Amino acid sequence: MPEGGSIVAKELVKVYGGKVRAVEGVSFEVPPGEIFGFLGPNGAGKTTTVSMLSAGLRPTSGQAIVDGIEVGRDPEAVKRRIGVIFQEATADGDLSGRENLEIAAGCYGISRSESRLRAKELIDQMQLADAADRLAKTYSGGMRRRLELAVGLVHRPRILFLDEPTLGLDPQGRAGFWSFIQKLRQENGMTVFVTTHYLDEADGMCERIAIIDHGKIVILGTPTELKDKVGGDVVTIKTSSETPDVTNVLKAIPGVSSIQRKETAYRVKCANGETFVPLAVGSVTKAGVGVAGVTVKRPSLDEVFLEFTGREFREEEGPTATDRAVMMGRVRDNFARRR
Amino acid sequence: MLREFAALTRREFLKLARNPQAIFTSLFLPLVYLLLFGQGFNINPAQYLPPGTPASVGLAIVHSYFRGAPNYYSYFSAGMVGFVALTATLFIGANVIFDKLFGIFKRTRGTPAPTAAVFGSRLVAGAAQPLALAFFVLGLAVLFKHIPGLNGLDVTASVTALGAGEVVLAILLLALMFATLFLTIGILLDVPQTYFAAVNLLNLPVLLTSDALYPWGSMPAWMQNVSQYNPVSLAVNVIRETLFGSSLYPYSAGVYLLGLFAWSAVLIGIALVLVRRALRPLE
Repeated sequence: MPEGGSIVAKELVKVYGGKVRAVEGVSFEVPPGEIFGFLGPNGAGKTTTVSMLSAGLRPTSGQAIVDGIEVGRDPEAVKRRIGVIFQEATADGDLSGRENLEIAAGCYGISRSESRLRAKELIDQMQLADAADRLAKTYSGGMRRRLELAVGLVHRPRILFLDEPTLGLDPQGRAGFWSFIQKLRQENGMTVFVTTHYLDEADGMCERIAIIDHGKIVILGTPTELKDKVGGDVVTIKTSSETPDVTNVLKAIPGVSSIQRKETAYRVKCANGETFVPLAVGSVTKAGVGVAGVTVKRPSLDEVFLEFTGREFREEEGPTATDRAVMMGRVRDNFARRR
Repeated sequence: MLREFAALTRREFLKLARNPQAIFTSLFLPLVYLLLFGQGFNINPAQYLPPGTPASVGLAIVHSYFRGAPNYYSYFSAGMVGFVALTATLFIGANVIFDKLFGIFKRTRGTPAPTAAVFGSRLVAGAAQPLALAFFVLGLAVLFKHIPGLNGLDVTASVTALGAGEVVLAILLLALMFATLFLTIGILLDVPQTYFAAVNLLNLPVLLTSDALYPWGSMPAWMQNVSQYNPVSLAVNVIRETLFGSSLYPYSAGVYLLGLFAWSAVLIGIALVLVRRALRPLE
């Protein structure tokens, strides 16, 4: 029996319109109080999974159990127990921060007087006191995200779902947002399920991480476990021409475990990058090919991501979630101006 | 349920109060109609009678032409109430679509607030506007009567408390009916252009098959027959009977109100089925 505050996904499948298989048999368990990261490229199935867990979407098959309740059986009860911070801004720009919070509290059946108290408490906690009675559309990006977080917390949930919570924020805003989450978690022991595009955030904040690609979890573990699976350093050598192919030249160097080639770039996994580089440059030059550049990377989540999805984390097709958020912001501003 | 409803209704009224342009626009449309269209179009069928025709004959023709009203302007003023009940509710569904586009609707749907509270709060706010506008129209039309050079609303029957109550009920039912219709369309659709296309497809036929603006005597018989069942006509008939007397109407105001109840019940019933399906807790 799952514990209170936990999240369990059992073979979750979501098929849209009978054709598009967005999520294909995702299973994992998040124990109470854990910060769990859910990473993947655009269209990998992150938001669909979050929607199924947070009572927004019905799974085609499989089970989602949140705080001990099966989502499909009692979605309303699940909504009362969870807070969701969506990737887009959902606070009403025509209302003040305080009004947004009071109305959100009312939507959970909280009395008017209690709503006022909770709004004040969260405004103070999120350092929005100076702007509490200003319209939300006048808030900066960071303030707006803090307001979103406050709205998601107004009913004191045991589990918090964050879908790309720091999208579009500057590094300072991101750091500030995460310090709030850390504080909340320390104070309330809240379970946090987060999808993010920022691997450094996931690395620093999450106790465990799952990477999803094409609707399936490709790897799950602690950040250290994931990085260990990549094995050794990653050296990228750029040559001045595509020919001749120097893959075999590089493979012959001791300590090399694998090589991936993309045009003039060779991504080499090796035991020790520092000792490998002089040998590699010498061998490539000796083979009659010029070296245009060399980079050495210690294993990071970027490398893990590349290893298990076959793609650079930022190498996305079409507009990214950030692009979409920026475009949506422009649409919203234009509409507000016209109104 | 009540707390959720109260919170969401508060939001609707706060948003309305924060949008003075929308309030001004909603007042401007009836103002222009009352000040320009009604003044310019104030036809009098008695003026074409041969000289020497007794005044009583002229009066009888006017009454018959305008179903008891003493002139077109008075007849039209009552019709304008039906007109604003329709036009003031047009944007209610568009607001839902914009709330969907801007994520606000998603936030509300992410809470356990029941569908009835989500729908009901918007319905109440949507129906309150035409109700307020109706009284603005009637008040303005009466005021014009006292301004030299302007035509105005001439109330020729003695209005009882019951009659006033029937007028309020008729306007409320009509506003609720249209608010339900446009809100349902807004909940079902996701694209503003599609919404406005659907709304245009509905509002003009509804308005132009009613007797809200046409003089009754100038309408062809088939149109008179059609307009008897039109909800705008039903509401306008209640107002005209109250303001000008019921002698030229085949039914009492109570019967017209029953007709409006029937329309409202059918539309709200259909809306409930469609909206419940569209706003299921899990999509």
